[in-house]
Amino acid sequence: MNRVRQTIAVLIVCLVLLIVGVTHTVALPAFRPQTPAENPQVTFNRDVAPIVFHYCATCHRPGESGPFPLLSYKDAKSHARQIAAVTQSRFMPPWLPEPAEFKFADELRLSDAQIAVIGRWVEQGAIEGAASDLPPKPNFIEGWQMGTPDLVVKAEKPYLLPASGTDQYWNFIFRTPVTKTRWLKGIEVRPGDKRVVHHANVLVDRMQSARLQETSPGAGFGGMEIKIESEAFDPDSHFLFWKPGTLPYSEPEGMALRIDPGSDLVLNIHLQPSGKEELIQPSLGLYFTNQPATRFPMLLQLENDRKLDIPPGEKNFLVTDDFTIPEDVELLAIYPHAHYLGKDLEAFATFPDGTKKSLIHIPSWDLNWQAVFRYASPVELPAGTVISMRYTYDNSDENVRNPNVPPKRVMGGNRASDEMAHLWLQVLPHNLPGQNFDPRRVLQEAMARHNVAKNPADFEAHYNLGAMLQARGEVDAALKEYQLALQIRPEDATANNAMAGASLASGHTEQAVKYLEVALLSRPNYFDAHYNLGTALAMQNDFAGAVAQFGAAVQLNAMDANAQANLGAALAEIGNWKDARVHLEKALAIDPNLALARENLEQVKRELPNDQRR
Amino acid sequence: MRSDSATFRISVLVRAVFVTIFVISLGYLPAPASQTVVDVYNSAAGELLQGHGKVLVLVFVRTDCPISNRYTPLLQQMEKKYAQEALFRLVFPDRNESAEKIRSYLKEYGYDLAAIRDLDHALVKKTFAKITPESAVFNAKGELVYHGRIDNLYEHIGQARSAATTHELADAIDAANKGENPRVSSANAVGCFISDLE
Repeated sequence: MNRVRQTIAVLIVCLVLLIVGVTHTVALPAFRPQTPAENPQVTFNRDVAPIVFHYCATCHRPGESGPFPLLSYKDAKSHARQIAAVTQSRFMPPWLPEPAEFKFADELRLSDAQIAVIGRWVEQGAIEGAASDLPPKPNFIEGWQMGTPDLVVKAEKPYLLPASGTDQYWNFIFRTPVTKTRWLKGIEVRPGDKRVVHHANVLVDRMQSARLQETSPGAGFGGMEIKIESEAFDPDSHFLFWKPGTLPYSEPEGMALRIDPGSDLVLNIHLQPSGKEELIQPSLGLYFTNQPATRFPMLLQLENDRKLDIPPGEKNFLVTDDFTIPEDVELLAIYPHAHYLGKDLEAFATFPDGTKKSLIHIPSWDLNWQAVFRYASPVELPAGTVISMRYTYDNSDENVRNPNVPPKRVMGGNRASDEMAHLWLQVLPHNLPGQNFDPRRVLQEAMARHNVAKNPADFEAHYNLGAMLQARGEVDAALKEYQLALQIRPEDATANNAMAGASLASGHTEQAVKYLEVALLSRPNYFDAHYNLGTALAMQNDFAGAVAQFGAAVQLNAMDANAQANLGAALAEIGNWKDARVHLEKALAIDPNLALARENLEQVKRELPNDQRR
Repeated sequence: MRSDSATFRISVLVRAVFVTIFVISLGYLPAPASQTVVDVYNSAAGELLQGHGKVLVLVFVRTDCPISNRYTPLLQQMEKKYAQEALFRLVFPDRNESAEKIRSYLKEYGYDLAAIRDLDHALVKKTFAKITPESAVFNAKGELVYHGRIDNLYEHIGQARSAATTHELADAIDAANKGENPRVSSANAVGCFISDLE
């Protein structure tokens, strides 16, 4: 009965889909650069169409996010000067990072020569040219991009986007879309009208923690950043991100994402009013594989929100974080994130030999085009490499996106008017031969220690480090971290529950009961705390008390096999054979592998009068 | 037909009946179910722009310009606010946008402003418009007193403020209503280029 239930609280900022980038099956014509000198007269068919079809048409076609199609000469001619202006300013195609040594997959960046070709085409009168020069039109897949999904889930209630006003952020919860554990290899997000949805993130909410923010079930909730709790040793591992123009992408072999029956999927979307009201009711298309994950990437987060205290008028406010990678990893993808004051976002790696290389550099940050950037091939980061985040912020009135007019002091926070300094990295730790532990734990612990060192007053940093240490069996060290966490937030339900768990593990049952009572006072519907209190009381031979606590736990989650089994065991202890049998049978119906429950059930049946045994 | 002044005056007579119907229909039909889209050529433009005894506001838009679309609620509010003092007209300067396309656009966005197709860019030329959305204000005597952006919501394409802090169009209408010249007579608009005539 002494399994301890515990969660780890992690602030999630727009986590993202396993799915970014362009599928390799879409047949786009390769762009063949023209040498300007060879072709003084620029024509659409010969010079411009290859650029437009490759770089623009993915979004600029019916049903996609572009406001008008760019699939023909007529389309392009009607917008010719616009195309020249927005490519010249590099507003289009939207691609924020500067070119660097480590290339990204599906870079959507025009060369200076390509921009010049478009400019000359317009200057020369935007002529069509010879029909024989026109490349074939790009061939796009209609409907679901990876074929019919294995499962399509639709948001329960639509969100009504107002006709005008500032950007909106909305979260839809897709409740436990699967009935058994499945391995997800891809998600296609159909966000609703793609013209108003700037980007979307899918988060796997294994603890159903986002539901607490809904006013009524299925209603969804507003908010730019959401906080969800995740299991301590099943860290978030995949970016589940959608932005206009991205086609779904299938995870590499062995890197599927586990989805359990109790997990919710939360879709966080960023919307911009279009001038008319829009009903937004997204769907998710889920693609499964039978291949369970064998390689486990992990998301590392550099951040320094506490240092965000930007005075009004400040044009170059610098925020930094530096994290030393404790073991060899491959860097798969990167996701920088700031809000409207973000100006220059840069991340670089300093290798053990001292060489420094850019991982990403966005000199003109634009939240509207934020994205997960996947590397064309994994970047090897050996143990000892330092990852550095260098972000600058402009809180002056020269920053037109400044949400405050006139500018005012801005701090870190979750609202659009607050700021953020986050850098997410998807890394794949190397599985060393003979290694008998999950290499992600090394990263997690290093991250937790880094956070504690960076922010000694950070509740979550202490809590998370405590959870790591406890999982490694270092109970005393864990207790110390939990104590530090509780000094910061004495009434926090999660930390009190964890403290109780560690106390139980070290045999301090009475202390555990005290912490659990505090936890339940703070959060009366806390399943884990009821479960743990039931365990603690049972250890004190207070089986009536244990029955009450396990009873409360199964009220909250009838599908938890362990809670049902323990309730059955506690009922048996007080001689209530009949009810004991009911709950033990329920436990075994949920999980037939619970050996202890099976033993207990056999014993209960022996105690029952003959006529009730069958 | 070019907009030199001689041709202009003569044509007005020819087109006068047409234009009159247009003005009446707008004046007397409250929010028609299917909206009238009026084609205006050089000549009719002259009639439209001669003094109406009240302020005339033209706003250039196109159906596929996200920036002009975003101004729909504001333009509707302004039209209602100034209903007594000013005539509002939406002007579609792109020949590729058919009357039918414009009608369905107006319905989709819930517009109840009267719409004009500026088929040979007579209005574009008269108002120096280059962009959608771009506005032009004529005073009661028919003199162009302001042309340019509606407000400063956008600094550049893709760079929007959370809310506008200057309101050039409203200021210009207020000034024109008082018979004054606006403090600002033009301001560069941000949005989608008006394409050249083909």
